[in-house]
Amino acid sequence: MKVVITGIGAVSGFGWGVEKLWRGLESGATSIREPSVFDVEGQRTTLVAEVGPPGPDAQAEIDDLRNLSRADVFAVIAAREALVRAGVDAGGPRTGVFCGGSTAGMAECEDFVGRIVGVHPGKPTLRLLASQQLNGPGDAVARDIGACGPVIGFSSACASGAMALGAALEAVRSGDVDMALAGGADSLCRLTYSGFNALRSVDPGVCRPFRRDRQGLSLGEGAGMLVLEPLDRAVARGAEPLAELAGYGASCDAHHMTAPHPEGDGALAAMKAALMDAGLESLDVGAVNAHGTGTPHNDQSESCALRRLLGERSLEVPLTAPKGALGHVLGAAGALEAVASVLALECGTIFPTAGSTPADPDFGIDLVLDEGREMFRGKQTWISTNFAFGGANAALVIRGLV
Amino acid sequence: MKVVISGLGVVMPGAWGWDEAESLFSAADPKPVDIDRSAGYHREGGSRKALLVDSGRMGEWLSPMAARRMSQASRFAVCASLMAFHDAGLKPQSEEGTTAVVMGTTYGAAFVTEKILRQILLEGPESVSPALFTESVANAPAAQIALAVGAKGANTTVTQRQASVIAALKQGVGLLMRGVADRVLVGVVDEMAPLLHSILDRFGGLARPEHNGAEVGRPFDDRGSGWMGADGAAVTLLEPEDIVRRRGGSFRARVLGAGMAFDPGAPRSGWGTVPGPRAKALRAFLVENAGSPRVIDRVVCSAGGLPEADRLEARMIREVLGDGSLPPVLAPAASVGNHGAALLAGSVLAAAGATFGPTPGFGVPDREAGIIPHDGRTLPAPETVLMTVCAPGGSAGWALMARGLEV
Repeated sequence: MKVVITGIGAVSGFGWGVEKLWRGLESGATSIREPSVFDVEGQRTTLVAEVGPPGPDAQAEIDDLRNLSRADVFAVIAAREALVRAGVDAGGPRTGVFCGGSTAGMAECEDFVGRIVGVHPGKPTLRLLASQQLNGPGDAVARDIGACGPVIGFSSACASGAMALGAALEAVRSGDVDMALAGGADSLCRLTYSGFNALRSVDPGVCRPFRRDRQGLSLGEGAGMLVLEPLDRAVARGAEPLAELAGYGASCDAHHMTAPHPEGDGALAAMKAALMDAGLESLDVGAVNAHGTGTPHNDQSESCALRRLLGERSLEVPLTAPKGALGHVLGAAGALEAVASVLALECGTIFPTAGSTPADPDFGIDLVLDEGREMFRGKQTWISTNFAFGGANAALVIRGLV
Repeated sequence: MKVVISGLGVVMPGAWGWDEAESLFSAADPKPVDIDRSAGYHREGGSRKALLVDSGRMGEWLSPMAARRMSQASRFAVCASLMAFHDAGLKPQSEEGTTAVVMGTTYGAAFVTEKILRQILLEGPESVSPALFTESVANAPAAQIALAVGAKGANTTVTQRQASVIAALKQGVGLLMRGVADRVLVGVVDEMAPLLHSILDRFGGLARPEHNGAEVGRPFDDRGSGWMGADGAAVTLLEPEDIVRRRGGSFRARVLGAGMAFDPGAPRSGWGTVPGPRAKALRAFLVENAGSPRVIDRVVCSAGGLPEADRLEARMIREVLGDGSLPPVLAPAASVGNHGAALLAGSVLAAAGATFGPTPGFGVPDREAGIIPHDGRTLPAPETVLMTVCAPGGSAGWALMARGLEV
């Protein structure tokens, strides 16, 4: 069964909606800047890709808004946009929600704990925790659209969003659901910001994936949500599919809690599994939407895996890495980057990797620099990768519909 | 393909491993201990106790050096996974084929999160320990399991409150059915940190001190005031039945299927009162996977003594299985506290024909719930076990298990 993507929605450092996301990515700009959501005093670094205030209507008519976390709101707005794009009223027993996230309402929880220990003003009201749990964004979406099918939260750190999409793909294929809202949402919080700084993984400047002078990641926030349904169902209801979610693969390095396998064994296994799931081979890959965190070891490991996957073609297959533009949105990364892949396929343009310094020549990859590149005809198969703490790897194969 | 549970690992309050879990459920005598209240999170008059794992037993499975690099949740999960391999007669790190891991968690890394938040808020962000941070992610236990057993297949962590255990089971069965793994460790782990305990108490989830100072989880009982907070892990090893038979192995239970549903009308932090979409979906699941609700001869439910939760689950069960002819209903959370490990381990043990004693804490039926949980009488081994869970916020899940094969 072919499963297609009929709707996409996004909230990113570039703003609310897919149009702003695409404009930002296509321009090669970055949304990484000084944060306003929390004080960075005492931190090693001071930059994030923060979502700005919503437009006046963006949060209109969200039920029980005051009890939602910031991540919940991102997820709900992205899901609504995806459903509008898909031209469908979701909901009911045959709709499932599969949502990735790494911290969900942690920012609100931090405020609660700050009040309990007396360093934040105000009473520790339970409202701050009403949607603190990791499944909060997915539940908020399900509640908003009236979904009665399975609702599952995925929390495998940076691979969560891709894993949610993989599970949704399988749920549609197996007939468990007729339609799935799938993606991920995460918001900035002190815990992850301080933690990644403690690990010395954050670039003091703007994240520069696969560049020679890369120094680490930049954290971001946002959400990506996609509507998945069988192709025949989409066609029957007169929808215009945007792309096919053709395959999903996952693996684990079983190597180290934070360091990736130096030769990218696990990453390679996930990409191979995704291609096999799609019934494709590495020769079919037309472009790569890389995880590209910008940390020295991760980019090295990922490029090694890509060279092993693509062989001599690694210098011919264009590779782009959106984290220099969007920051690392953690549990939402796989979803937001899948939305970016769909937009690229739709527009026929591979967006550039933000930044201005030279690519690392040792990697043997074709990093798209400076400006977007037209996609080759007949090469409309993207592979999008996400690799997480603990060596959890996930890869998606997304194809254009010719 | 038929999916079976070839091994079970259990790390629960009062039980390390299958034999002790069997004794624990049979004895039905939970032993709560005082939770650490020294940080001052707790309110006066609130819950003071929890059912906690005796972590001094960890050395049987984990070296002190390995344990030092792990959160408590990771330690529990790794120990339970090693036990599951052992129970299945397999050796970690040396089996051929692909091992995948799917873990569920309700609250994630509670202890580590609490510690990091205190470091950030009280000592400043520069004091955060990198080692703690790596264990703060919800998937740390699954990753540590992969390292401990050499599992290079898919490594997934799901979280859907109390229904996480079913979500994990559903994903794990799916991996085997799709042929992307040769075996899957599927489990659930949670820890009970003081901050989490105090938050659950503030939400009214935990059993209140009674007139004699005791705190008791009383499923389906008129005196129920909340569940017992608890920690622990249960991990199953899932394999295709033909593989297990080919190597001459036994298996604890068959997994016939798992399903989930959501009620978007349920309160965000509560259970609600109407089983509605959840009962409808459960009925459809049973018809599809068991032919009829009537084949169910044992129910293992998540009820732990919180009236709103127990009543909703009871209504759902009664609506689907019928008021007049309910099979025996087991509530393992009464023995080991409210967490997914209790439900998963209790269900596998029930399917394997283990003896369950009378439901601890039960004595005065809650008429609104309308279920009398198991009274301890000797029961024949069941043919088909229904495992159910209702979670706050709208999720519910269920799974069907059948009797295993003893060799």
